[in-house]
Amino acid sequence: MSRQGEPIADYNPRYWRTLDELANTPEFREWIAKEFPHGVDLEGLSRRRWLQLMAASFTLAGFAGCRWEKTEIVPFVHRPTGRIPGKPERFATAMDLSGEVTGLVATCVDGRPIKLEGNPVHPSSLGGTDAFAQAAVLQLYDPDRSRDVIARSDGQWVVRSWEDFTAALRERVAATSSGEGWVFVTGATSSPTVRRLRKLLEQRWPKAQWFTYEPLHDDFVRRGTREAFGVEARPVYRLNQAKVILALDADLFFESTGHVRAARDFAATRDGNPDRMSRLYAVETRWTLSGSSADHRLPLSPGEISAFVDALENCLATLAAGESLPDIGSSPDQSPEARYRAVFLKAVAEDLWQYRGRSVVAAGNWLGPEVHAAVARINKRLESLGGPVVYLPVSDPMTARTAESLHALHELLVSGSVQNILFADTNPVYSAPLAMKLNQLIERIPFSAHLGLYADETALSCRWHIPMAHFLEAWGDAETWDGTYTVVQPMIAPLWGGKSVIELLSLFLDANKNAQDWVYETFQARYPHSQAADWERCLAQGLFREENRQLNSLTELANTAKREIPGDAVERFVAGEKSTGNSVSVLLTADYSVYDGRFANNAWLQEWPDPVTRLTWGNAAVIGVETARGLDCKDGSVIRLEVSSATLDLPVVVVPGIPPRTVVVSLGYGRSAAGHVGGLVRENIPPVGVNTYALRSDASQFVFSGVKVTKLPRNQPLASVQDHHLIDRVGLQGRVERLGELVREVTLERLTDPHEPYSAEEVVHHPPLESLWPEHTYDGHRWGMAVDLSKCIGCGACVVACQAENNIPVVGPAQVMRSREMHWIRIDRYFTGTPENPRTVHQPVMCQQCEMAPCEQVCPVAATVHSHEGLNDMVYNRCIGTRYCANNCPYKVRRFNYFYYHKDLDNPRNEVQKMVYNPEVTIRSRGVMEKCTYCVQRIQNAKIEAKNQRRPLIDGEIQTACQQVCPAQAIVFGDLADPSSAVAQLHQSNRAYGMLAELNVKPRTKYLARVRNPHPALQAIEYREPAATHEHGA
Amino acid sequence: MGSASTISRQPEVDNTMSDPTSRPPLVLGQHDFATVTETVARIPERPGTTLAWKLSFAVAASLATMFVVLTGYLFVTGIGIWGNNSPVFWGFPIVNFVFWVGIGHAGTLISAILFLFRQHWRTSINRFAEAMTVFAVVCAGIFPAIHVGRVWYVYWLLPYPNPMGMWPNFRSPLLWDVFAVGTYMTVSVLFWYLGMIPDLATLRDRATRPLPRLLYGLFSLGWSGSARHWHRFEKAYLFLAALATPLVLSVHSVVSFDFAVSLIPGWHTTIFPPYFVAGAIFSGFAMVVTLMVPAREFFGLKDLVTLRHLDNMNKFILATSFMVGYAYLIEVFMAWYSGNKYELFTFINRALGPYAWAYWTMVICNVAIPQLFWFKKCRTTPWIMWIIAIFVNIGMWFERFVIIVTSLSRDFLPGSWALYKPTLIDFLMLIGSFGIFFTLFLLFCRYLPMVAMAEVKTVLPQAQVHHRHAAEEHAPSELEYAR
Repeated sequence: MSRQGEPIADYNPRYWRTLDELANTPEFREWIAKEFPHGVDLEGLSRRRWLQLMAASFTLAGFAGCRWEKTEIVPFVHRPTGRIPGKPERFATAMDLSGEVTGLVATCVDGRPIKLEGNPVHPSSLGGTDAFAQAAVLQLYDPDRSRDVIARSDGQWVVRSWEDFTAALRERVAATSSGEGWVFVTGATSSPTVRRLRKLLEQRWPKAQWFTYEPLHDDFVRRGTREAFGVEARPVYRLNQAKVILALDADLFFESTGHVRAARDFAATRDGNPDRMSRLYAVETRWTLSGSSADHRLPLSPGEISAFVDALENCLATLAAGESLPDIGSSPDQSPEARYRAVFLKAVAEDLWQYRGRSVVAAGNWLGPEVHAAVARINKRLESLGGPVVYLPVSDPMTARTAESLHALHELLVSGSVQNILFADTNPVYSAPLAMKLNQLIERIPFSAHLGLYADETALSCRWHIPMAHFLEAWGDAETWDGTYTVVQPMIAPLWGGKSVIELLSLFLDANKNAQDWVYETFQARYPHSQAADWERCLAQGLFREENRQLNSLTELANTAKREIPGDAVERFVAGEKSTGNSVSVLLTADYSVYDGRFANNAWLQEWPDPVTRLTWGNAAVIGVETARGLDCKDGSVIRLEVSSATLDLPVVVVPGIPPRTVVVSLGYGRSAAGHVGGLVRENIPPVGVNTYALRSDASQFVFSGVKVTKLPRNQPLASVQDHHLIDRVGLQGRVERLGELVREVTLERLTDPHEPYSAEEVVHHPPLESLWPEHTYDGHRWGMAVDLSKCIGCGACVVACQAENNIPVVGPAQVMRSREMHWIRIDRYFTGTPENPRTVHQPVMCQQCEMAPCEQVCPVAATVHSHEGLNDMVYNRCIGTRYCANNCPYKVRRFNYFYYHKDLDNPRNEVQKMVYNPEVTIRSRGVMEKCTYCVQRIQNAKIEAKNQRRPLIDGEIQTACQQVCPAQAIVFGDLADPSSAVAQLHQSNRAYGMLAELNVKPRTKYLARVRNPHPALQAIEYREPAATHEHGA
Repeated sequence: MGSASTISRQPEVDNTMSDPTSRPPLVLGQHDFATVTETVARIPERPGTTLAWKLSFAVAASLATMFVVLTGYLFVTGIGIWGNNSPVFWGFPIVNFVFWVGIGHAGTLISAILFLFRQHWRTSINRFAEAMTVFAVVCAGIFPAIHVGRVWYVYWLLPYPNPMGMWPNFRSPLLWDVFAVGTYMTVSVLFWYLGMIPDLATLRDRATRPLPRLLYGLFSLGWSGSARHWHRFEKAYLFLAALATPLVLSVHSVVSFDFAVSLIPGWHTTIFPPYFVAGAIFSGFAMVVTLMVPAREFFGLKDLVTLRHLDNMNKFILATSFMVGYAYLIEVFMAWYSGNKYELFTFINRALGPYAWAYWTMVICNVAIPQLFWFKKCRTTPWIMWIIAIFVNIGMWFERFVIIVTSLSRDFLPGSWALYKPTLIDFLMLIGSFGIFFTLFLLFCRYLPMVAMAEVKTVLPQAQVHHRHAAEEHAPSELEYAR
């Protein structure tokens, strides 16, 4: 029985037990804190004493038990104006993830935020978000977030108060006037206020040292741009202006600056309109979202990408000189691979050149500075600077995602001159190279404090840990890449008395000002002519609109930006890398679920499948088919990677399209102090996944060549949501045969053929469909949906959005391995083409709300029935769980509660997690079937709203959760009864088809065939359908 | 043959020959009415139980208890303790359900249809087969009831007036199942019990201890053996036989609708009703042979349940094996002939996919091994037929496994495919259901007349009015003459 539920710092008694309590003296607070101190030592107890204690606890448990803190509920005597209990309110705010800002609108019910949407007026999102923003509410209510200020004394952690900490800090601050011996370490942030506070503090304490640290850094990008432009810059892509895009292992829709907006802009060019239609080439080692959305993808090992860039630069130089490229891809003695490379290179170069001014070349963060410099030169040559490609100078050190600082920090710590260190929202002990032994160095420092959401690895090395306020709990601000000022508003008072970075830094400056004051001051300083109404509007909209703001893009190369490229670069690239024996290259990447590890304790993200590997709960060594054959590995085989500094054992997942002799692994797993979800070694909860930061050293951050790989004689099951088991030849054959009908694709050329109109529906021929019994008739609305496969980039934000909206439980890795995941929407991923160089398609599948629903017909208790608006309703109260409906569902979108998946909520410690639930959606219990409802609660709310206002519903007024979050706007929902509605229009499109419509189930969701825009020369090679001969994927 | 009062065995008489000039006897040994009664009735009248029975009962009852305990665990925890997943939402429980319902078909077939067709050889085995039917249906009924997610609301399957104003969905084959199995269970129990009344009265009359006398007396419903009683009994029996006959065909047809009415490839097949009925008879007869071979040995019933009886049953097994084999073939043919790629894939996947081992186990056990019954030696040698019958039982369990699991694990969208892995509890509950079956069966063997004495007496030569020469001429006997 711990006292975790009681925020001691804010202890403000009305009724007192002792005079000490009334006086709130330090002695009393200490007594309170020590009554049940954290980390009470139970070792060294005698058996007898142990039994006594246990017996007493057991008996007393019956009297009081562990209870959620009791609070009085007092109704409002005077209800605040406009406040209607139970009615959701929406406020603008923003999320800053390592300097990448997403404008948000938070939905709050009775004062608690339950759902985040993209802010439709904010240029960073235009209404969409990524998965991280969707999962942020779960992080807010994470019961593992630290709840108390804790301090370490004599190796024991004890609960202290914020006042204790400020007192200790004052003592340390008083000892210096210049900041000598003080070190501040923060994560990257775009917040103007934090940056201002830093500047103020730097002025006051010139000798204090500041470090910004991000393990997923873009140091190479900034170094490359320094080489090209003379200043450090960050590229941003405006893909709606692009006609030809080349992504060099660049994850345009995940890692690039402005990735949410990029998805929107890219998708706008993919609707089959020949005037807009872009062509995306991806040259990459891993599978990025760009690669899976690409028209052509060339898998290259990490070393070959720079060779490709060299060759491309040469080709473009040739073209720029007015010459045509030599015929490099038709030599009869070339291998097929070499010929393909040659044709690919030529196609890319000619395409880029042809559409110069509308072409984009982007490179991934891990590629070397020389590649980024070359890319800048290429973009310059393509006349794209200031157009579709913008290079923005990085002026403020806090906005740069850097890890170079770590080296300097380490040297400083080793020198022993550091007396005081403060970590704010950063966890370097976890992600720093092991050889640095950062934890031991920090432990030696006399005063060390950590501000963070969790008592993480870094916190445990410090002497103080202060709970940080979540961004939904604190005032703050942010600035997007284009300079849009964005305000971060608190939606709820800090649950555990956490403090924000602003509040921590203000301790050093002016303790009387609160965070809101600081933020407002920043706003006033930034917009000196603004008035109070502007601030109000800024709060309401979440951003400050500035008229005629120009982007300060770099357009001229520096004189130094010259590089000699060998004349035979093209030949060298085409010939390919020579095989180098048994060693492989390892590429470390950001993780789609946990990013750099900070989301490791977020169960929604842990269970959210990787877009391509479809893995949940952990990372794996992603290898190609050829590598797997060489190592004799299958999915789940364990391999050992050996670099000079470390050895790692990882399970394998075989994915076609990963180049030979290459292993791709994501970072961010193997947390030892993440929490009860991601791993908590001190409570014997094993870490999820493997910590691949262990491979890192000062020399190598992302790419490791010459790594020795051996297969170990054991297997580790993988929690994958697709291809749960190895697939055999029969299954592959079956998949290949039906794929073209399930996921229909069309080339732009075929789509726009004037002689033979395309119709996606005619891909499948079937006899006329007649119904066995009378069909439903409708007087009013007929809801329907359209999913544009051409726009879908497979990012999976919809999966988390649906989970947040509909209270979908997390089931854990063991249940995922049993194929019992509960997501109402899933994104099926299929490969087509050859195993060496496949193409990917993503297909979101949710309940298709069939008109003649096979589930409705077979339910013996009529628990799933048709609504008068065409929805296939699920009546949880009536369901007895025969599961017949799910068997009979051809789309297998129904999910069954095999267990009581909310059991963890019975633990009083997790009570806070209940606050995340959407009160408008039932929590389903054990033994009940559930499925997508088209967000029926949103439909009903909008209908009520419209009825109250005596007006008809407006098309687009109702947005399902998946639709609202989709950064690519691939999902459209609306009323089919209204022929002018967007969804009705899309259903009339020649690209529209009902999946499995030949079964006469009459699905209400229609898919729009994916449009590909292949280059004719490459199409001739790639688009020959091969037989299903490979063992994995297809 | 005189009306010998002592039992003298004549094992050398071979009644398995089919000689058109002479009708082979259906009861061997020098049996008359008294010795038949003696042979059958002494088993429940024996004061103690044999060690073999005790041991068997101990094992069976332990397994049954395990089943009950596991069911409790299931109710407390949820059906996630089984291996069911998405897409294989039905696993072992429904496989077991269909398996046991199938077993339950031999009883009614033997009792009702063979009765209507005047197949007198049924008299020696019908009681036994009916008992087996009832117990198998008991086992079958348990599984669908406990497999639902919220077992505490399972009664919502029944159409009853309720404050919710809700009827069940009459379009759902699962609801038809409830009616079909419920009706079958009722009629089977009635039929079994009705046929047993004269024999219970015999036991009552012979009982020497008060408790058996009371209980047999209670359940024999005051049977006195008067002509009027016999008259009504025979009318009722005939009537029930007529009523039960369509049930033999309907129950498994309806069970097959669970699958045939759905749209899953491999399920959505019009051949299912006859195919399931043939399979059910096949498995039911195999189970009768499996139980009868040891039972006639242990309880000294070889004179009454002769090799001719076993031979006949084995011929049934052989015939139904062909029907089942034909169904397997025609399914594959139709999958190809229909031109439906999903259907065709399902069958290729069954034969060559990850569950090919189950498919070929099914084919070998159900089609290949029963071919041994072409040989008379196999049909008339108890240990050989027993082994073959066991294979048929295994094969028929796998048939249901193949139908349910392979079809579901790979249906339409490859993105949702997944293999099904049963858990330990799945296996324990399968074994436990056998425990329940054998517990009931052993109790039946011990306390009730295993052979229908009154009916067997009608096929004795003595039952004929002019039995001396009637026995020589082998005039057909009629139940009406039985006294």
